[in-house]
Amino acid sequence: MEQDAQLVQQCLQGDGSAWEELVRRHTRRIFNICYRFTGNRTESEDLSQDVFLRVYRTLGSYRSAHGGFATWMTSVTRNLLIDHYRRTKRDRITDSLDDKMPVVENKESAGRRPDEQALLGELSSQVQSALTRLSPELREAVILRDLQQLEYGEIQRVLAVPEGTVKSRINRGRIELARVLQQMGVRPS
Amino acid sequence: MNWTCEQTEARLSDYLDGFLQPAEQTAFDLHVNACARCTPLVASVSHVLGALHTLEPVEPSQQLVNSILTATLGPQSWRNAKRWLRSIQSPRFVYGVVSVAATFIVILTASGFSWRKPKLADLAPATIYRKAEGQAHVVYARGMKFFSDMRVVYEIQSRLRQDNNLPTTPESTVPQSSPNGQPGRTDKTNPSSPRQQNRADEIGRNLQVLAAECPMLTGFFGERRVP
Repeated sequence: MEQDAQLVQQCLQGDGSAWEELVRRHTRRIFNICYRFTGNRTESEDLSQDVFLRVYRTLGSYRSAHGGFATWMTSVTRNLLIDHYRRTKRDRITDSLDDKMPVVENKESAGRRPDEQALLGELSSQVQSALTRLSPELREAVILRDLQQLEYGEIQRVLAVPEGTVKSRINRGRIELARVLQQMGVRPS
Repeated sequence: MNWTCEQTEARLSDYLDGFLQPAEQTAFDLHVNACARCTPLVASVSHVLGALHTLEPVEPSQQLVNSILTATLGPQSWRNAKRWLRSIQSPRFVYGVVSVAATFIVILTASGFSWRKPKLADLAPATIYRKAEGQAHVVYARGMKFFSDMRVVYEIQSRLRQDNNLPTTPESTVPQSSPNGQPGRTDKTNPSSPRQQNRADEIGRNLQVLAAECPMLTGFFGERRVP
């Protein structure tokens, strides 16, 4: 966190290599938030690029006293995702089925048999698909809490809502996700 | 503590995250184990939570970082140029450049390069070498001449010092108000004795011999009063 703040200071002094370091440190995390929110790799890469572009332009407004750089960046990402969601709401209805197919995370995890990996990959695809069916408010809360492992306080800063609202959204998001998965035929084993 | 289905749904995340108080936990467990509606709800949400935690991070494409850097800092070549420009702003590099420039200026000046009327031909390495070599010889010859001159001067000074250190009549032996004192002398100096006069004549002769051997010192001795 302190290293991020130091890199930001160097960036503001015109150090391009500090910015490169910041980009390399946060690209994967930002891309994953975008991907879990949209379920589309191409869109997520474009959105990630937009996030960094906005962060680069507004870097001077970042104050370390208001929270970590990662939280601030997540907040920028969230705002862009909501904007993107509203902008593409109509387009999404007419999207082709192919474009909506989620990427199967078929990373080979150590100690798993091929059939277990196949099942896990299928479950991941179903969860990703179910996530994109949640409302944006519930989706972002679940992503930040259960996928990005943020604390309630951090989520509160990112979403700019009271802690009670954060808890309520996370709870409703999880219940809604379970309901969607049940509708998709996924049941607890 | 009575626990309802609404409470179960509202506090489900607290239960799954372990935020319930012991009494609430007990009441929650008692209710869920007995409630046909809440049991599947808790099971399905627990399953979802487990499934969310098994989701692996997705790797972005290799080009993403480059695309971001190009969109923010410019193309790769431009970034490299800026990085190079930044690196030459380091104090070590600046000191190095200043040292090289100073050395170059010193060599050029020593080789007789004219800064007022600079010529491209004067910057040719062969010309610089030839002129620098000539200048080095001149400097060496001047140095040697200066050194030998200094030797002569030192020799003369040491002889003069040797002569001045000869014993003279102690001043204390001549009383201030001696009746033998020459009348009219007010500088309180003693008159030269015949022995001192002889020594001064000898110094004068030595200086004349040295002047004959070293013509360059003629002017130097000419200004001195030879007794």
